[in-house]
Amino acid sequence: MPSPPSPYFSELDDIDLDASDFTASVPLKKVPNGDIFEASRAGDVDRLRYLLESGVNVNARDNWDSVALYYACLAGHLDAARMLLENGAICSEHTFDGDRCHYAALNLKVRKLLKAFEARPPPLGPLQGALRDTFLSCEANRGFIDQATESGLHFQVSGFASNGASSSYYFPPDVVFFVQGRPIEAHRVILSSRSPFFRRKFETDWKDRNEVRFSREKLSYPALYSLIHFFYSDRLEVAVDDMEDLVRICKVCKCESLQRILEKELIHQKYAEYKALRDVDNSQKRFILQGLSLPEEDRLPASLHRILQISLAQSSKENSLDIGVDRLLPHVGAMQLSDSLDDLADICVRVDKRIFRCHQVVLASRSEYFKTRLTRMKEFHEGKDALPSDTLPYLEERGLSAEAFEKMIEYMYTDGLTDIDPDQAEEMFDAASRYLLFPLKRAVADVLLPHLEMVSPAELCHWLMLSDMYGVLKIRDYCLDMIACNFETFADTCEFRAMLLTLPPPSGDSSLRTTVPSAPGAVINTDQANLLDDLREKWLEAEGAELDERDESALLFDKRLEMLMVVAEQEKSLPSAADGHDYVT
Amino acid sequence: MSAQKKKAFQIEAFKHRVVVDPKYAEKTWKILEHAIHEIYNHNASGLSFEELYRNAYNMVLHKFGEKLYSGLVATMTSHLNEISSSIEAAQGGLFLEELNRKWAEHNKAMQMIRDILMYMDRTFIPNTHKTPVHELGLNLWRDVVIHSYAIQSRLQAILLENVRRERSGEVIDRGLMRSITKMLMDLGPSVYQDDFEKHFLEVSADFYHLESQEFIESCDCGEYLKKADRRLNEEIERVSHYLDARSEAKITNVVEKEMIENHMHRLVQMENSGLVNMIVDEKYEDLGRMYCLFRRVPNGLVLVRDVMTSYIRDTGKQLVTDPERLKDPVDFVQHLLDLKDKYDKIITSAFSNDKTFQNALNSSFEYFINLNSRSPEFISLFVDDKLRKGLRGVTEEDVEVVLDKVMMLFRYLQEKDVFEKYYKQHLAKRLLSGKTVSEDAERSLIVKLKTECGYQFTSKLEGMFTDMKTSQDTMQGFHASHGANIAEGPTLSVHVLTTGSWPTQSITTCNLPAEILGICEKFRNYYLGTHTGRRLSWQTNMGTADLKATFGKGQKHELNVSTYQMCVLMLFNNVDQLSYKEIEQATEIPAPDLKRCLQSLACVKGKNVLRKEPMSKDIADTDNFLFNDNFTSKFFKVKIGTVAAQRESEPENQETRQRVEEDRKPQIEAAIVRIMKARRVLDHNNIVAEVTKQLQSRFLPNPVVIKKRIESLIEREFLERDKSDRKLYRYLA
Repeated sequence: MPSPPSPYFSELDDIDLDASDFTASVPLKKVPNGDIFEASRAGDVDRLRYLLESGVNVNARDNWDSVALYYACLAGHLDAARMLLENGAICSEHTFDGDRCHYAALNLKVRKLLKAFEARPPPLGPLQGALRDTFLSCEANRGFIDQATESGLHFQVSGFASNGASSSYYFPPDVVFFVQGRPIEAHRVILSSRSPFFRRKFETDWKDRNEVRFSREKLSYPALYSLIHFFYSDRLEVAVDDMEDLVRICKVCKCESLQRILEKELIHQKYAEYKALRDVDNSQKRFILQGLSLPEEDRLPASLHRILQISLAQSSKENSLDIGVDRLLPHVGAMQLSDSLDDLADICVRVDKRIFRCHQVVLASRSEYFKTRLTRMKEFHEGKDALPSDTLPYLEERGLSAEAFEKMIEYMYTDGLTDIDPDQAEEMFDAASRYLLFPLKRAVADVLLPHLEMVSPAELCHWLMLSDMYGVLKIRDYCLDMIACNFETFADTCEFRAMLLTLPPPSGDSSLRTTVPSAPGAVINTDQANLLDDLREKWLEAEGAELDERDESALLFDKRLEMLMVVAEQEKSLPSAADGHDYVT
Repeated sequence: MSAQKKKAFQIEAFKHRVVVDPKYAEKTWKILEHAIHEIYNHNASGLSFEELYRNAYNMVLHKFGEKLYSGLVATMTSHLNEISSSIEAAQGGLFLEELNRKWAEHNKAMQMIRDILMYMDRTFIPNTHKTPVHELGLNLWRDVVIHSYAIQSRLQAILLENVRRERSGEVIDRGLMRSITKMLMDLGPSVYQDDFEKHFLEVSADFYHLESQEFIESCDCGEYLKKADRRLNEEIERVSHYLDARSEAKITNVVEKEMIENHMHRLVQMENSGLVNMIVDEKYEDLGRMYCLFRRVPNGLVLVRDVMTSYIRDTGKQLVTDPERLKDPVDFVQHLLDLKDKYDKIITSAFSNDKTFQNALNSSFEYFINLNSRSPEFISLFVDDKLRKGLRGVTEEDVEVVLDKVMMLFRYLQEKDVFEKYYKQHLAKRLLSGKTVSEDAERSLIVKLKTECGYQFTSKLEGMFTDMKTSQDTMQGFHASHGANIAEGPTLSVHVLTTGSWPTQSITTCNLPAEILGICEKFRNYYLGTHTGRRLSWQTNMGTADLKATFGKGQKHELNVSTYQMCVLMLFNNVDQLSYKEIEQATEIPAPDLKRCLQSLACVKGKNVLRKEPMSKDIADTDNFLFNDNFTSKFFKVKIGTVAAQRESEPENQETRQRVEEDRKPQIEAAIVRIMKARRVLDHNNIVAEVTKQLQSRFLPNPVVIKKRIESLIEREFLERDKSDRKLYRYLA
C-alpha cells in the first residue's frame, strides 16, 4: 500500500522537483561534532536537524563570511539546503548572502529550490504573521509596500489583496507618525514593548497624542518604516542604502542588539562589493534579518511576554484591592486609567471573577472574535454604554475559567504555552475553538500528545470524542490509530461500546467504501468525516486483508461493530451491570 | 495515574454531553432566532454579543450546525419576505428610496448576524461547503426581494425611466441611482447584467436608433457629429456616475453602432456637408470630430479614408490633366505643392497624424502625378525656375523647405530617370549660362537626390560640377600663359565638359568667325599640351558671347547673345544686307537653330538689332536681313535671348523620350544579367517581377521592353531557353 505523502513533502508539492532529488546519491560523511557550517557542507542532515532544533542562528556567518546555506548550495546538498531554508535561511537574490547562494548553487536543482523559497520566504510564526497583517492592513502603511513592490523590492504581501481598503485584518491604529511628510500608522503597545524609547515617550510626551510629527529631515521614512515593520513581524527587510539611517534610529530607540547587528552588517556591506560575485544594482540591494538572529530576549514573543507579565501583575493587584469586584462592577463597569501607566493596557477582560488587563491590538490581531468584539460592537448591548474617556473599556467573557483564559492570552502574546496541565487541555481546546485561535489547538495537542501514551482505553475514547468535536486532527488521528491497532482491547471496554452508540453510524453505502484497492482512502474527507468510517479505514490499514479481500474485511469489521453496538444497547438497558464491569487496564 | 483523576476526567468528559439534548438545541436556537428578529427590528442594543456568540458556538460545536444554518435561512427568508412586501407597498417615487433604505438595513443586519455566527462561518460552513453567511444574505436578498415578481419588473422600469428622463434633460437623483446599481453589482455581476444592464442596453439602442433617425433627417453632417459626440460623452459620464465601469464599453458600443455605424455612409456622403465638403471648406474641427467618432466603429476609418482618397485622386487627376495648367509648369508644380500642404494640414490637425491616412495620401499623389507623363519634366522645370531666380533673397532654411517639398514630389515619380534626364539638361543650362543662384542650394539638392536614389543617380550631375571647377582652373592657367599674346583679341572663356557627364547633343559645328577661330586654336593647343591624348570638340550651340556694337546714331550697346547669334552678327561687320541663304552658307548653322536665332535677332520688339524683309513673324528661306541702324534701347546692356521655349516642343519631347527609352535598355539588361547571375535558372514571370523590383527606384520598366531585352540577351548568348520548358531561362557563361 502506498504510504500517504509525508507532511514534509506535501507542503512543498509545488516545487518542481522530484522527491528522489532530495536523497543523496552517494553516502555522506557524518560530522557528529560539527557546527552548522560543517554539517551543511557535509550534508549531514541529522546533525543539522539537531543543531537547528537546539536553536542556532541559521543566518549566522562564519569566519569566511559565508552562511550555512551557501555551503549547502555549493556542495549541492538539496536536503540540507531545504532544511536550512525551512528554518528561515535567507535566500533573496537582492541580499548579499542570498546572491552568493544563488551564484554558488551547484546545479539547476539547487537553484530551483532557492527560487521556490525566494518566492515564498519562511513563514512567520502565527504571532508574527498576525501582527504583521495588522500592521500592513493600515492604509497608510500599505502605500509603501505597493511602491516597494513596484520598484522591484519584495515584501511579501500575503493573505489579503493590497487594494481592498477594508481587509479583514484591519484593526485601527492608535498612533500615526509623520516622517518626511509620509504617515506610518502603528499601535502603541507594540512599539513600547520593543523599544524603551517609545515606551518612555508614550508614557510622557506622547501620552495623549494620536499623531506625532517628526520634523527632522534626517529621519528617513524607509528606515523607520522598516524598523516598525520589524517591530511587528520580527523580520527586518531594509534597503542597504537605508541601513545607516536605520542604525541611527536604533540608537535613539535603544534597540541595542539590533543596532549591534546592523553596525556589524554595515561594515560588512562596505566590503561586500568587493566580495560580491556580480553586480547588483545598489538601490535594489537588501538586507534581511530574521528575528532568530537576535538574542531571545529581544525577539517579539519575549517582548510581548514582558508586557503581559506586567499586565498580569497589575491585574492581580487590582483584583486583590478590589475584593468586592463582583458587587462593584455593575456600577463601575470599567477600571480607572490612572494606575495603569506601566502596562499600556487598553482593555479589561473579566473572566470568572478575575479581571485581566490586556491590549486590544494583540487580542484583535490574534482572534477574529475579539476584533469583531472590539470594533463592531456599537449595535449590541455591549456597545451601548458610552464609557467615560478616562476608563478602560471592559469586556466580560463567560463560560470559561480564568486559568484557561490566562493560558490563552499567554499564547496570544507569545505563541508559547508553558506548564499546561492535561486536565486543562479540554478547556483550552474549547477556548481555542471559541476564539478562533486555531494554532492554539495544535500547540495544546503537542503538549497533550505525550500524555496520551499513558492513558486508559476509556480515556482515549474520551479524547477521541473531544478531538472530533473540536477538530483537533492530530489527537483524533492518534486516538484512531491506537484504537485500530488495539481493536480487540477496546472492544472489551464498555466505554468504547457506549461511545459507539453515541456516534453517527458509519456510511453503510458500499459505494462510498473503497473498492479500488489502489486508491485507499480516496473518499475520506479528512476534516469532518464520520468517525467510524475513519476508524474502519485505519483498521483496514492495520488489520485488513490485501487488495481483493479488502471489501470482505470491511464487511467483517462492520459486522463486528454492529455486534458491539448490540452489546452496548444491552448494557445501556442494564446500567448497573455495566458499571465497572470492564474497568481494567 | 490515579483512579480519582480518571473519574475527574469522566465527569468533565460528559460536561457537554449533559447539555446536549434536543431541547437544548431548540432552546438555544430560540434565543438566536429571537436575536435575529431583534436585529431586523433595530432592537439589537438589548442583545449581548458575547452570549449570542457563545450560544451559536456551542450549537455548532455540538453538531447542530445544520439546524442553525437552516434556521438562519428560514428566518432570514421570512424577514426578507416582509421587507419585500413593504417595498412593494411603497408608492411611486418612494419605491427606490424604500428599496435603498431596506437594502442598507439588510446589509447592517447581515453584518451583525455574521458576527454572531462567526464560528459557524469559519468552521461549519467551509467544511460542509455551504454558502457563507454574508453571501447567503446577498443571495436571499436577490431571490426574495429583487427577483420577486412585483419588484423585479418595477425596479427595472423605474431605473430605465430615470435614465430616459436624464437623457431628455431632466435632473434625477444620481446618488440614489448609484446606490441601487451598486446593490445590483454587489449581488453579483450576473444580477446587474441580467436585471439591469441587458435591458438598459436594449432600451438605449432603441432610443438612439430613433434619435439618430431624427437627427440625420434634420441636421447636416457636422451638426450631427457634434450631437453624436455629445451623446457619447453623456453616456460615458453616466457610467462614471452611477453604473458599473464595465458597462462603459457596452453602452458606448451601442451609441456608436446606432449613431455612427448605421449612418456611416450617409454621413460621409451627405450632400453639401459630407466629408468632401469638409475637406473643401477646410473644417478641421468637424473633420477631427469625424475622425474621433469613426475611429470607434469598425471600418469607420476605412470608409473615411477611401472617400478622401478617391476625392484626392479625382481632384488631382483634374489638376494634372487640365490643359490650362500644363501651360505653366512652375505654376503646375506649385499647385501640386499647395494641394499637398493642404492635405497634410488636414491629416495633422484633424486626423491626428494617422499613418494609414498619410499612406493613403501618398499613394493618391503617386497615382495622379504619374498620370501626366510630363510631370518629371515639370518638376525639373520648377526646380530650375527656383534655382534660377526664385530663391533670390530667401534664407537658407526656406531654400531647404522648398527643396524638401520638391523631393517629396520627386518621390512620387515613377519615372525617376526621366526626371534625371531633364534635370541634367536644365542643370547644364544653368551651369553654362552661369545663372545658378546658389551653389549651396544646387549641391544640397544633389545630396538629397543621392540619399534618395543612390550614388549612380547623381554621379553624372556631380561630374558636371567638377567640370565647372576644373574649367575655371584651366582658364586661369591659359590666361596666365597666353595673357600677353591675346590681350588685344576677344576674351575667351571655355568650359571643358567631359563627354558623358553632360547631356549629349549631336555635335553641330558652325563656322566661327576668324577672330574667334584664332584664339580657339590657341586654347586647343594649350589644352592638348597639358592633357595629352584628349580630343576637344566645340559645342557652339551652348556658348554665349558679349558683343560691343555701335549703331547708327553713335549709340553703343553691349549685346549679350548666344554663340550662333554672335556668328550671325559678326557677318554684318562687313555688309549691311544678307539673305537667309547667304547667312546659312556662311555660318553652317543647322536650319532650325539658325531660324530661331534669326527670329530672336530680328523679330523681338526692343531687341531687333537686325531688320527683316519682308516684315513677318516667321523666318522664310527667302528672307533678307539688314543691319538695323535705328536700334535703340534704354539699357546699355541688351540681352538677346534665343526664342527657345522653356518647355520642350513636341518633337523635342519625343526625342527626350526616345533617349530615355534608349538609356533604359542597358539598365534593364544589366538588371536581368545581375538577377540571372545570382539565380542561374528563372522563369519569365519571375524575371519580370524581379527586374521591376530592382529598377523601381528609377522607373517602372515595361514588361514588353523587358521581354525584348531578354530576347536580345538570348541572341547575344548571355541566356538560353531551357530545352524542356520554354518559359525557363538559363544563365550562360
